[in-house]
Amino acid sequence: MARTASNRRLFNSTGKYVVLIVMAVIALYPILQMWMTALRPSGEILRNPFALPSTLDWSNLAKAWTTGRFGTYLINSVIITVPTVIGVVVLSCLAGYGISRFKFWGRGIMFLTILLGLTVPFQSVMIPLYYQLLNMGLLGTYWSVILPGIAFGLPFGVFLMQSFFEDLPHELAEAGRVDGCSEFRIFKDIMLPLAKPAVSTLIVFQFMKTWNEFLMPLLYLQDEDMRPIPLGLMFFQGAYTRDIGLIAAGVAISTIPVIAVYLIFQRQFVKGLTSGAVK
Amino acid sequence: MAHPSPRKMGKRGSKRQRAGFWFVLPAFLFYVAFFAYPFLSTVYLSMTEWNGVGTPTFTGLTNYSRLVQDGAMWSALTNNVIWVVLGTAAPIFIGLIISVMLWTGAKGGGIFRTIYFLPMVLSPVVIGVIWNWIYNPLFGLLNTGLRNVGLGKWAIGWLGETETALYAVMLTAIWTYLGFCIVVLYAGLQKVDSELVDAARIDGASPWQRFKNVIVPQIRPVLTMVIVYTVIGGFNVFDVVWVMTGGGPNNSSEVIATYTYEVAFRNSEYGYGATLSVIMSLVALSAAYAAMKFRKAGEA
Repeated sequence: MARTASNRRLFNSTGKYVVLIVMAVIALYPILQMWMTALRPSGEILRNPFALPSTLDWSNLAKAWTTGRFGTYLINSVIITVPTVIGVVVLSCLAGYGISRFKFWGRGIMFLTILLGLTVPFQSVMIPLYYQLLNMGLLGTYWSVILPGIAFGLPFGVFLMQSFFEDLPHELAEAGRVDGCSEFRIFKDIMLPLAKPAVSTLIVFQFMKTWNEFLMPLLYLQDEDMRPIPLGLMFFQGAYTRDIGLIAAGVAISTIPVIAVYLIFQRQFVKGLTSGAVK
Repeated sequence: MAHPSPRKMGKRGSKRQRAGFWFVLPAFLFYVAFFAYPFLSTVYLSMTEWNGVGTPTFTGLTNYSRLVQDGAMWSALTNNVIWVVLGTAAPIFIGLIISVMLWTGAKGGGIFRTIYFLPMVLSPVVIGVIWNWIYNPLFGLLNTGLRNVGLGKWAIGWLGETETALYAVMLTAIWTYLGFCIVVLYAGLQKVDSELVDAARIDGASPWQRFKNVIVPQIRPVLTMVIVYTVIGGFNVFDVVWVMTGGGPNNSSEVIATYTYEVAFRNSEYGYGATLSVIMSLVALSAAYAAMKFRKAGEA
């Protein structure tokens, strides 16, 4: 695994760094530009959008928070995201463990049915689900996005946990069995603590997915007071099309929490997104 | 009852195995109630005519024959195909170059990867709002920049012209997931055998030959997975198109998913909308299946 420089040298070194840096600027600039615009005095934005702000003006952020009601949207996002993530993680751990460690009637068909969900887009269930939620009396409540949100997280969650538990050594569980533990206790007290890396990957991945979701709340949560951040931002953009400073402030408020979570937990997140691809 | 007592050692084996069922059941029931069952309902609705009120009228395969003759559907599907082709080829081409650059050893490689991946964590709505502003014909960054360097005549309304809308949205989407392609390809490159690359160099292979004949074959599984991802993504794309153009102007950036949304929720044709969404699933499923077969064939 030693990284010898000679055999990998395919590019001229200076040219390489120029390309890498240009790509980094392309990835970052639109986001940074939005943050800068949010802090810029309104008069300056049109004159020269590329310059740094002459003074920092917090009024756009304050206005977006109050009139734009981003404070409310933020709370809604938390109310929706926390139970969804807990539901996906608990159910995926149980199911992933059951599928990887036991042979029982219906195992194959249940696993395959859940895995098929990986390719089915939300559009393919959105219409009947609307009426189902209506009949259940859930439409317009937070549950109308939490419960389907959990179901949609399961295909990936079960897949991830199943492949993790499969790779764990069997001896520890056997030791528990000899000591007379129930299967559930073996799972909870012996195997689950070993699955921490996979669980944290799933938590971060599912958090981002739920936090950014927008079509589901658009269809099932019609009440303005219940909108999560992405939906709030969309309507906010529609209402203040001409006021770039204010829209930029909305973008800043929407992006800072996710980017912070990403920077803190990036290893788990990248692993979650790529684990399907790199196996 | 779910967890057999260890004292009943007689049939321990089979009883123990059966415990697995109770571990899987909660997830399975949940999945069936809020995913599988509504999906089957969609399949049924796709064979009905229904405006959302009263009972759906069963019409057999009428919707499917309508679909075959629906010009708007075909032009939307054509846009999906363009999206799949360009949206796969471009990020893989750029992604391969960048990931190999990182792999050959670059100072701060981890920081570069963190930055490239960043757009991927943003909501499509946020991305749409940011890029709507970049493309704004009057005060957008792109046109302001073009005017500043004297290319004012190129400053057009990128999202408002039928010729450019689809490509402008696509560029935004590629900006979002290019970092994902780079990171996955880079992970695949970690498994490349450096000694083979070295041997090829000693044998006088040019950098391009080393890349094409030694490196690419070794990362083929990962390459296939990236392609599956971009192909399924290309057929299912909705959010970014819906936020930026809504499929317009004049349906020029319409894709199957936005068309489905319009048919179902704007025109209240829930039956035909269901037909379109069944087709979406079928296309994505067969694309994934084909890619898996292709991958298996490559491994054999």
